[in-house]
Amino acid sequence: MIPESFEYHAPKNLAEATRLVGQFGADGKLLAGGHSLVPLMKLRLAAPKHLIDITGIGELNYIREEGDRFEIGALTTHFQLESSGLLKSRCPLLPETAREIGDVQVRNKGTLGGSLAHSDPAADWPAAVVALDAEMHAVSASGERRIPAKDFFVDLLATALQPEEILAAIRVPALPARGGDAYAKHCHPASGFAVVGVAARVVLDERGNLAEIGVGITGVGPKAYRPAALEEALRGKSPGRKRLEEACAHAADGVEVNSDLYASAEYRGHLAAVYARRAVEKALERASENSQIS
Amino acid sequence: MRTKILGERIKRKEDPRLIRGGAHYVDDLKLDGMLYMTFVRSVYAHAKIKSINDAAARSVHGVVDVLRGRDLEGKLGNVPCAAGLEGLKIPDHPCLAPDEVRYVGEPIVAIVARDRYIAEDAADKVEIEYGPLPVVVNPEKALEKDSPLVHSKFADNVAFVAKLEGGDWKLVENDKSLKLIKQRFINQRLAPASMETRGVIASYSSGEDALTVWSSTQIPHLLKTQLAVMTGVDEARCRVITPEVGGAFGSKLNVYAEEGVASFASKKLGKPVKWIEGRRENMQATIHGRDQINDLEVYVKSDGVVAGLRCRIIADLGAYHQLLTPAIPTLTALMILGCYNIPNVWVETIGVFTNKMATDAYRGAGRPEATYIIERAMDLVANELNLDPAEVRQRNFPSPKDFPLTLATGVDYDTANYQKTLKKVLKASGYSRLRKEQERLRKKGKYLGIGLSTYVEICAMGPSSRMPAGGWEFGMVRVEPTAKVTVYTGTSPHGQGEETSFAQIVAEELGIPFDNVTVYHGDTSVVQHGIGTFGSRTTAVGGAAIFGAVQKLKKKMARFAAFKLKVKPGELIFDGGKLQTADGSKSIPFGEVVEAAYYARQLPPGVEPGLTEQMVFEPPNYTFPFGAHVAVVEVDGETGEVQLRNYYCVDDCGRILNPLLVDGQVHGGLAQGIGQALWEDHVYDENGQLITGTLMDYTLPKAHHFPWFETSNTETRTPVNPLGVKGVGEAGTIGSTPAIVNAVVDALKPFGVRHLDMPLKPEKIWRAMKQAAAQA
Amino acid sequence: MKIEGTYMVSAPRQTVWEHLLNPDTLAKSLPGCEKLEPQPDGSYHAEMKVGIAAVKGTYHGRVEILDPVPHERFRMKVEGQGTGGFLKGEGTLTLLGDGSETLIGYSGEAQVGGVIAGVGQRLVQAAARQIVQQFFQAFSKRLA
Ligand SMILES: Cc1cc2nc3c(=O)[nH]c(=O)nc-3n(C[C@H](O)[C@H](O)[C@H](O)COP(=O)(O)OP(=O)(O)OC[C@H]3O[C@@H](n4cnc5c(N)ncnc54)[C@H](O)[C@@H]3O)c2cc1C
Repeated sequence: MIPESFEYHAPKNLAEATRLVGQFGADGKLLAGGHSLVPLMKLRLAAPKHLIDITGIGELNYIREEGDRFEIGALTTHFQLESSGLLKSRCPLLPETAREIGDVQVRNKGTLGGSLAHSDPAADWPAAVVALDAEMHAVSASGERRIPAKDFFVDLLATALQPEEILAAIRVPALPARGGDAYAKHCHPASGFAVVGVAARVVLDERGNLAEIGVGITGVGPKAYRPAALEEALRGKSPGRKRLEEACAHAADGVEVNSDLYASAEYRGHLAAVYARRAVEKALERASENSQIS
Repeated sequence: MRTKILGERIKRKEDPRLIRGGAHYVDDLKLDGMLYMTFVRSVYAHAKIKSINDAAARSVHGVVDVLRGRDLEGKLGNVPCAAGLEGLKIPDHPCLAPDEVRYVGEPIVAIVARDRYIAEDAADKVEIEYGPLPVVVNPEKALEKDSPLVHSKFADNVAFVAKLEGGDWKLVENDKSLKLIKQRFINQRLAPASMETRGVIASYSSGEDALTVWSSTQIPHLLKTQLAVMTGVDEARCRVITPEVGGAFGSKLNVYAEEGVASFASKKLGKPVKWIEGRRENMQATIHGRDQINDLEVYVKSDGVVAGLRCRIIADLGAYHQLLTPAIPTLTALMILGCYNIPNVWVETIGVFTNKMATDAYRGAGRPEATYIIERAMDLVANELNLDPAEVRQRNFPSPKDFPLTLATGVDYDTANYQKTLKKVLKASGYSRLRKEQERLRKKGKYLGIGLSTYVEICAMGPSSRMPAGGWEFGMVRVEPTAKVTVYTGTSPHGQGEETSFAQIVAEELGIPFDNVTVYHGDTSVVQHGIGTFGSRTTAVGGAAIFGAVQKLKKKMARFAAFKLKVKPGELIFDGGKLQTADGSKSIPFGEVVEAAYYARQLPPGVEPGLTEQMVFEPPNYTFPFGAHVAVVEVDGETGEVQLRNYYCVDDCGRILNPLLVDGQVHGGLAQGIGQALWEDHVYDENGQLITGTLMDYTLPKAHHFPWFETSNTETRTPVNPLGVKGVGEAGTIGSTPAIVNAVVDALKPFGVRHLDMPLKPEKIWRAMKQAAAQA
Repeated sequence: MKIEGTYMVSAPRQTVWEHLLNPDTLAKSLPGCEKLEPQPDGSYHAEMKVGIAAVKGTYHGRVEILDPVPHERFRMKVEGQGTGGFLKGEGTLTLLGDGSETLIGYSGEAQVGGVIAGVGQRLVQAAARQIVQQFFQAFSKRLA
């Protein structure tokens, strides 16, 4: 449980950090909360030659409201997201998701950016960001680019980020009028990671039909995904219990469902359907409450 | 009025240093010139070691030595096994495997280096060529004729067969009026996973030919003797020191290969050598618990009274014997009747070798398995006869008047009142109300389950005649010249809190402030003798020795006081920092008696100066604590998830010296017992790879998994020791596992489920419900 | 651990067959393959960096092709030792199709030992699947 030796760098600002990642490429690794990377290093499953500690870069830690969007710095911790009053009232899916991550220690150290960049198939954040159609803001020495969530997660532990890029921020839409969102999760009892995690955001129209729906599912496949068939079956419809149940049966359509010691593919698929329904139901409930208020 | 100390809820003496980080564990100690050791372990479950290439490792700068099995031959003895069973096969168990490995994690090479980082880097560079051999992981398969052999020098994989019979089994078989209920149970393999892993520092001094070993162990004195035998160092020159131990749960009631190799390396290199176990090593190569298959037959009368019980126990011992490996499953046989006076019993225990880490004592050690079998059996009887599980238990309990009671197993139970604990827990849990709520909820498609367990366990280990290496305990009490008191115990508490309870015993007896008493343990040069802490024995045996020593001390002090006061020694009472006559007319301060004893200017005739007394307590019997638990669970009908809603327990551990300590033991014990029922499972795949090698996959119970436990007690004292205490270190673990499983199975009654094996993972429950729905 | 599945390549059976048994194509298609050298006994010596994303181990070992039935099937045996453990696999590849497309079926058993086996439980299966996918993707690119 001791890592191989590495060189340690602690850039003070984003510019310096981008220079270092550009310089070291695949030999370098960014260190944020360290709660995914350090265990891998201690098991010697990852052995970066250069460790670039970005935790001192203050400019990457913020939650900013920009009109009907939020921009959140990559170094914002799970706990900061969980406890943000601003997010609780304007984008409650994020605090609700954060609350479900690991335990207090993990939430105090782990960061949004680290979790997304690591793209663990059982991590919670990916579900929320795909459900919200978030936008990832990647920076490198040669410039910056914006990557939509749907293109960001590539495969198991793999994202669209290049070795010389830093995930600087993500942008998510605030909860619109007549909207509601929710996160429902079946935790692995050992790790706390999601066996299945479903994030949902819905927006109702004036008649109470589902005008918009975004669902993100984590834990089920090699990466977080939007269940197209499920969303399609509900979009524009009035959401009765039966329709919901039928739609959610498609939660894992077309996905190579994970199987491990804790849950077989069959059971995980079943959980995906149940938790998808629970998440959408809860989101609907909140949307209709919000519709009454507005 | 006497000041009351014993029986009070006194906060633990040890906590401030533990909480504030002021305590010292093995890993906190650094000695001058100390070297660090790491191990290269087998990645195969069974293989020949064809070659080892350590040239690259040796060339790493800072590597001091690389040790292999053959370097130890003739110089370091094997890992010892103390269990003596008739016909037991004991395989050679060298500290480093010389030519064949038999489980994943078996140490092959030890690297000694200037620091731990260098050692780990070098370990990565050792190349071992293996010749894989056939693997057997499943103990039942290991019993088949054509099974691969774990040890080719034996004809089969059977390590021992032990039989226990009582009553008249023919009578049972011939009684056609009896109903036969059969069930197979799996007591799955568990990882003790204490918070502090193992760790050792060995420091050999060639000048004095002396070996000092710091080890995170439960048995410093036994370890000292064994290390002397293994290394050849004169026992008089061996010393074992146990600093703070961060949990053990039986896993450190052992002598491990790593302790031997560290001692050997220090002796060879003339420098202190430290080894600290990593968590992955801890999961692989520290003993595991449980791992039994139990085939049970119960013969029951139509009124629910059990006439006979037959069980075949297949105990998976793993590849080698650790200190007590084969002895553990025999405790299952011994306690299989639980708290029921079942007249006829037949148990066969088969110990089997497999290509896995050794099993050995893990909290409960054989008794949780027994309790699980018998308590599940009671629920199966209730289910079969459509009786309330509480009623079935009542009908099989012996009366409190029947004690002492010899059971068909030949075990002598000391004292009990099972009816009382059961009644109390039924009341505390609102049992009959719960049953009504259950009915209501079932109609709404909600699944509430209520599970009972009434257990008895065997503690205070134990009479030396029945223990592998003595069952007595040593205690010594010394009043220092400043009138402060030092207590020495041969037990080795590691979290249980005896620094507090032993101080309570002594303070109460001597009538002095609790803060004036300090308890020492865990250094073989400071405490002259000892057996250790395990088998819920520390207070019942070690505390009894302290109590005995303090009686002798009081006698002596009374002689000094009486001499001064000119009264009879027998008249004097110790209280409030004084020794006084019963009528209070004459008294002398405690401190003045101490001065008299040490200044020794005027000695009473025949009395030696000084105030040190000791006692070795030999327990005449075990003790048998008992209790009754109720678990209330909700099962999610859609997903099979189990929510533990309430937990009630009434434990009777004899006299209670400190309720806070008892609660602490019960809470922690419950967590571990519930852990087995719901989550824990140490799994090897068919190739013998341990696939639950980290705490990401192996579910240790955590505080947030539990509701608040509603604990309470009854107090039925034992005559086995003068304190009347029975032991409570393992009770929670022993009682809770079946309560939970009974509750979950009870919740699933509408689905026709009569048994599910542990751990009760949601998927298993979901499948059972699905199957029931498909059949309906 | 069972690994099985199918992959469709747009090339006729004969071409696929030839390339599958061509060490050069294989070496270039196997993810992380750094060396694949034919040995006198007909097997190959391989050096590979196997893994996903940043989690990679270096292994060396041998690859053997057994019981080839031209254009139809062969068995493949892989054995490697490396970072903290070993990996082993044995399986059968079958080719189906008679036009311009070929369906490759694969079915086998893989075994890992050491660190990965002990700590990677929840990811091993998905990782294996991903590595196989990567192989076929690269392989069909080479054919095109
Ligand atoms: C006990 C435990 C329980 C956990 N439970 C959960 C859980 O229930 N749910 C859950 O979702 N997660 C869980 N986690 C993971 C936790 O949330 C991690 O903190 C998170 O996944 C990674 O964030 P980090 O900041 O720690 O990243 P690090 O570990 O520092 O980095 C992870 C990876 O991302 C890269 N990286 C980090 N920051 C950036 C960046 N800005 N740009 C580009 N690359 C970057 C690193 O180089 C590294 O490869 C758990 C972790 C532990 C230890």
